[in-house]
Amino acid sequence: MPVKTVFETKIQHVSILDELGNFDEALGGGLIPDEDVVAMYKHILVCRRFDEIAFKLQRSGRMGTYPENRGQEVPSLAAAYVLQKKDWMVTCYRENAGLFWRGLPMEKILLHWMGDERGNHIDECNVTPLAIAIGSQMLHATGLGWASKYQKNGAIACTFFGDGATSEGDFHEAANFAANLNLPVVFVCQNNGWAISTPTKVECSAPTVAQRGLAYGMECVQVDGNDLFAMVRVVKDAVENARKNNRPTFIEALTYRLGDHTTADDARRYRDADELAMWEKRDPVIRLRNYLEKRDLWSQEQEDGQVALAETTVAAVVKIAEEIDAPTTNDIFDSMYEGITPELQKQRQTLRTSSLGQDPSQVPAKSQEGAVQ
Amino acid sequence: MATKQPSDKSHFILPDLGEGVHEAELIKWRVEVGDTVQEHQTLAEMETDKALVEVPSPWTGVIASLNGNEGDIINVGSILVNYSVGENATKNDAPPDTGCVVGAVDDNISIPTSFSRTEATTNKCGDKAIATPAVRRIAKEKSVDINTVTPTGRGGRVTASDVESHLSPAKKQNIPAVPIVEPELEATPLATRVSVPQEGVMERIPFRGIRKKIAEALTHSLKTAAHFQVVDEADVTKLEQRRNALSELVGKKFSLLPFIMTAVVRGLKEHPILNSTVDDFVEEILVHNIINLGCAVDTDQGLMVAVLKNADDLSLVQLSDETARLAKECRDRTIKREELSGGTFTISNVGSYGGMFTTPIINYPEVAILGVGRAKEQVLTKDGAFYAGKVLPLSLSCDHRVVDGAAGAKFLRTVIELLENPEELMPTI
Repeated sequence: MPVKTVFETKIQHVSILDELGNFDEALGGGLIPDEDVVAMYKHILVCRRFDEIAFKLQRSGRMGTYPENRGQEVPSLAAAYVLQKKDWMVTCYRENAGLFWRGLPMEKILLHWMGDERGNHIDECNVTPLAIAIGSQMLHATGLGWASKYQKNGAIACTFFGDGATSEGDFHEAANFAANLNLPVVFVCQNNGWAISTPTKVECSAPTVAQRGLAYGMECVQVDGNDLFAMVRVVKDAVENARKNNRPTFIEALTYRLGDHTTADDARRYRDADELAMWEKRDPVIRLRNYLEKRDLWSQEQEDGQVALAETTVAAVVKIAEEIDAPTTNDIFDSMYEGITPELQKQRQTLRTSSLGQDPSQVPAKSQEGAVQ
Repeated sequence: MATKQPSDKSHFILPDLGEGVHEAELIKWRVEVGDTVQEHQTLAEMETDKALVEVPSPWTGVIASLNGNEGDIINVGSILVNYSVGENATKNDAPPDTGCVVGAVDDNISIPTSFSRTEATTNKCGDKAIATPAVRRIAKEKSVDINTVTPTGRGGRVTASDVESHLSPAKKQNIPAVPIVEPELEATPLATRVSVPQEGVMERIPFRGIRKKIAEALTHSLKTAAHFQVVDEADVTKLEQRRNALSELVGKKFSLLPFIMTAVVRGLKEHPILNSTVDDFVEEILVHNIINLGCAVDTDQGLMVAVLKNADDLSLVQLSDETARLAKECRDRTIKREELSGGTFTISNVGSYGGMFTTPIINYPEVAILGVGRAKEQVLTKDGAFYAGKVLPLSLSCDHRVVDGAAGAKFLRTVIELLENPEELMPTI
């Protein structure tokens, strides 16, 4: 009986602007107008400052746990740049750059990490609250894509997750449904090489993470995630594929978090200093700045001005977040469902009375319902 | 979680530097007293059990004092740095008086770094006191408005002693100024401090180290496990004969302990529920199929519990030798850490020092402990006749949450029957 090959495939890697400054004109020429590149570079500088200050807010006890975004700004920013207003961005927690670009007020991210549910009440733009439980958001994206198809509103859902999340069942369910039901979903895996302290190769034996999407029959591509141009290119293709063909795409963006996993982590304990040094050279900020300066689109004065602007912007954002009244414990219950279920009502009541040693009947009705809106 | 810092920016409370971090070692100060620091400027380098971190200043200010030396362990919630605020800054480093403090507390005394009063007053403010229902009841019974009591408990809680102190504030006037600055007093609640007579003290022993560990472990056990005791006696007359015979045979002296251990191991195999531990966090009872026998050892620093791992695999001679080795290593302080933990059942042999019955405290999270008293010669009866025999008093404490009275009594019965029938206990010798 003859043996024949029934399926063969390859995964393509896309790079336009590499860390040495080489630029592929064929792929990248005219892709992004100069003023947009400048705007995105400026945006990243603000995000960097935000990241630095958010980290310090945790260390000085002004905020809870915070995951540094430094180094991973490009994938989400590129997607936010390509997406339309009606589209959904469904993130985990290292996509501040994209969320801010879409119009999420920066203080909401601070409020979220300050443990304030109001940080998750988002009506400014189509983004979902940060998903901390690894992988849950991919299912939400598939659901949003499905809803959009059902409602025929032409919106697509673009979701972000880490390399580790592709080892979770959620990914496989979300990918399978999206591919089989022909849903307009873009899956962006930010492969930063580490699932907290687990190296990618330990939890993914395949040579690329991208091929995990292949198993479900989607378009798959690997891209330099620190290359703004390449990211915009592949997201554009994926968005078009979703919008025109109702087909999902899997994008593996190779990137690196230059900081710790979160403020509760110390990456020096498991990461090689040499590895970090290598990725610092691939920092998207350095790469973009070199690109802009080479084309006379950016100067030291502009840099200084933007850094100063970033400082004042972030300081103002911190002030806003810190001056908001402390949240009430009600938020824990009230933010769960649209209305409050009898069980939650009972729990809310118990928290407010019994745990303080008070008899519920002694608590004035007014203070029982004093929720902050 | 975020830590509430004083609104007047008078001091900086060490926050949780990671997730669930309770303390951190001060590695290096990066500022000095008198320095003007900017918001976000690094104050110190500190190391938690997870990471070496830089601790930044939450605001711009002038450093009035640095609380702690390099190498010190600083508790989360204690004041790391005081800032100069206003003209009277250096005089009043304590948090602002919110009207909640009762009794005279001199503002000029320096508060030890880890002292909990600061945390208490900061957390309390607002107008509602934090207290357990029990304390509320006490306050109610004594007609004390709990919201006016100065809290000294953890997280700003009002404790029962606080209510007492509130009732007799005169005692507070007697707070001696000197002891307050003694670092030994760290974390001692104010109320306790007040009631201790200060005269005629021969020696002041820091309540620390092993003593502190023992105190914490035992208090936790008593607070958590529902202790009950079963006491009984074993007629060890025959066992004593066998022990003497064996000692002669082997050429070394055996104590009763390895025999008791052998009986306990057999008893635990028959009643495995006594060989379990409790994981309160996930609310599970873990029944073990290995027997790690803890053995209480008295040392000059205090009680230590050495653990004989896989005691069911050890022969009588091995049990005897291992126990002697562990006891020696405990006393020499050469015992390995892993040999002080992981027990599934503990034997406390107070009998070697005297005493009959005890009410031993369970070595938490185990669920039972056997206290062994001193074997004594007694006149016993058998089939209506008197005879001189030896009786071993045994006291078993169990955690009633896991072990019911019948189960405890049955286990003790099994152990006693084995001790009373050495042929069955040690058929081979």
